[in-house]
Amino acid sequence: MHAVQRRSPRVRQIFLLPALLATALVPALARSSECPSTDPRALAWLDKMSRALSEVDYQGVVTYERGDDTQVMNISHSVSGGQEEEHMSLLVGKGGDVMRKAHPLECVHPGHQLLRLDASSTDDCGISRFYRIDVVGQERVAGRPSIQLTIAPRDMFRYGYRLALDSETGLLMKMQILGKGGVPLERFQFASVSVGSPSTDQELTLNDEAAAHHAKHPVMHAAKQVAPWHVHWLPAGFTLAADADPRGHSQTYTDGLAVFSIFLEQPDRPLPPGEGMVRKGGTTTYTRGIKRADGVVLATLIGEVPLNTARMVVDSIRWSP
Amino acid sequence: MSELMRESLSALMDDRASELELERLLKHSGDKELRQTWVRYHAVRNAIGGQATASLSIDISAGVRAAITGEAETSETPSAQPSKIQSLLRPVASLAVAASVAAVVVVGGVQWGQSGDSSGYNPPVSIASGVSPVGMLNRSGAVPVQMTYGSQPLSPNRAEVRAVYRELARRNMERYMADHAAHASLNTPQGMVPYAKVEAL
Repeated sequence: MHAVQRRSPRVRQIFLLPALLATALVPALARSSECPSTDPRALAWLDKMSRALSEVDYQGVVTYERGDDTQVMNISHSVSGGQEEEHMSLLVGKGGDVMRKAHPLECVHPGHQLLRLDASSTDDCGISRFYRIDVVGQERVAGRPSIQLTIAPRDMFRYGYRLALDSETGLLMKMQILGKGGVPLERFQFASVSVGSPSTDQELTLNDEAAAHHAKHPVMHAAKQVAPWHVHWLPAGFTLAADADPRGHSQTYTDGLAVFSIFLEQPDRPLPPGEGMVRKGGTTTYTRGIKRADGVVLATLIGEVPLNTARMVVDSIRWSP
Repeated sequence: MSELMRESLSALMDDRASELELERLLKHSGDKELRQTWVRYHAVRNAIGGQATASLSIDISAGVRAAITGEAETSETPSAQPSKIQSLLRPVASLAVAASVAAVVVVGGVQWGQSGDSSGYNPPVSIASGVSPVGMLNRSGAVPVQMTYGSQPLSPNRAEVRAVYRELARRNMERYMADHAAHASLNTPQGMVPYAKVEAL
């Protein structure tokens, strides 16, 4: 701590937050200290980030880049009456709006559950079993001090990340997806942001509210749906992100940082078995024609995972007898 | 074994074999002497490079081949009386069965893109914690891989089939991206950002 005290007041503030947070999370941290070589402060930051994403009001301008493609968008998030409302408005290219309304705060999806330290759980290494997570420094994003985290995969089935989290709120301000050798595949960051309830002149105006895309939300089924097919192999740490599509068309999996979805369809004409892929930034799309008794079925995996992970998961698709 | 074969083999080891040489070698890949020479060449190269060679006598290729043939046969048994189309497609099908094995082998040998660490973070040496369905661990792919349907001679349809599947993958990326973005926005810390990947909102 002496080293910290010699720093400037602002830097000390940055350090104070994780310290406070750590005190609040002592039981969880006691366990996470037994987790494979991961900075327990980093796990606490991921927990804070996940909660901030749904609980904090914010709006700002985000840039997103992959290869030559750059997108600029307005993003706003607000909470009122226990419900979240989110808007995204593309400011370049063809434009377009997405909105999600009336999303209950208590609706915590599996990906976020994986990032949260649950005091009642007996095994709380979180995602540190699959990633090595470190707090590496500070930087300024959109004019606000933030904490830098590196997240390196412990196996070859997923990508790495570099994050910057707002020191005050824990909001994710900047994120890079890193391929093999730490090569950035895509990145996004806030160019400007304001935290807290928006004043009226700040409120986001959509390009065209009537034409806005309504973000889908998985339907929760009372009874467990049994899909006619399943994947026989998944990289460790991946779990079903939503109930299986009752029509049996798709399944989605997440490890808390990456998500991939598998879609099945009948081709519109007879095809020989085969495979093809397209990659854009960190997103892999892999299509395989699987031979079955009554012809070829097309399985397509889309997700932010390496090609080999996509191929191996699709390779393990089995139909229930 | 002819001097010509020896030269082709040596060229293949140096990654300089022409298509013709490769074809010649593949045609004779069942030749015991050729295979032993291949193993010996590698042992010599390893010795020069200071690496120990596990054993010169283990040859798993026969087992692998038997496994592939066995699998190909089972997958074709349902069609007792193959139609004309099926018999036309069978070579492609059997190549595809070999793909899962061959692809992994090819992947292992591919020189992956940039290895320079321009970004400052060094990924640790990683150990796979999962079990691979193909029975061996492959390298993580950050770069597109040239796919192969095995080590068999080119089928005249192969390029066409590949083009069809590449187009299918491209089409499906557009078609399913909005669904994927919906799940990504709910299950990753990125919020609404994944929607920036959707071509037509």
